Amino acid sequence: MKNINLKKITIKDLAKIIGTQLSKHGVEVVLVGGACVSIYSENKYISYDLDFITYESNKKIKTALKEIGFEYDKKKYYIHSDCEYFLEFLAPPIAIGNQPIQNFNTISSDLGSIKILTPTDCIKDRLAAYIHWDDKESLEQAIMVAKVQKIDVNKIKKWAQEEFNGEKIKDFVEKLSI
Amino acid sequence: MLEMLFGNQNTERILFTLLLSKKCYAKQLADRFEVAVFGVQTTLQKLERAGVLISFKGGNTRIFEFNPRYPFLLELKQLLKKAYEFLPKEIKDKYYEPTTRKRPRRTGKPL
Repeated sequence: MKNINLKKITIKDLAKIIGTQLSKHGVEVVLVGGACVSIYSENKYISYDLDFITYESNKKIKTALKEIGFEYDKKKYYIHSDCEYFLEFLAPPIAIGNQPIQNFNTISSDLGSIKILTPTDCIKDRLAAYIHWDDKESLEQAIMVAKVQKIDVNKIKKWAQEEFNGEKIKDFVEKLSI
Repeated sequence: MLEMLFGNQNTERILFTLLLSKKCYAKQLADRFEVAVFGVQTTLQKLERAGVLISFKGGNTRIFEFNPRYPFLLELKQLLKKAYEFLPKEIKDKYYEPTTRKRPRRTGKPL
């Protein structure tokens, strides 16, 4: 962390630093949510919010993050005065709809490594928000990821069929082909 | 009834209310159960952080409902439905199924 400029850091690099710092303290996390969209869409979508899921205690997380200057604020986020991103730890399990997620990607560099949803699961996560709340922004985010990453559209269609009777998935497929 | 399982009575009250009414907000529950708003707000926020509930702003009020993406929602509702059947009728009528008008009423219409 000594030579890292947090003012100019990318969300991907920050995620790797956080993942490694927490791992040193025995805290295993998975990055979920909008930060995955940012990373997979190569920043076509900008998120300042890094959502992690862990089964470990907040006490362990606090100790680990304090070492690198992230403090727990009253709104239950971790913030750093030099960093525009903020960190949040969500309650487990890691699931999309009724399905627990067991397989993840790991992205690594000399800065560290972080476990993250696969592009396909990241898209399913956004599509679930679109289907439940008709949130068009979530649909756009799913498209952004799908256009950059290699994904299995048939797997997504099958999932949508099982979870939602295929409802609204055609919007995704149509937009993807434009 | 599920108080011991959930850790406090507010949680049980919130979940039963949502089972019956779909939506709720802190002041409404505090008035209905004659408890402090702060305690209800704290419990609602705890359930939101746990992923059980979601919330939206409706004017100046934060309205809570079940999170349709909570992976155990179906099972939680089944447990709540079963437990609700065991509640005495007086409690159901007083707190969860009061006869309040739900259909619309035109603004300014005399009572």
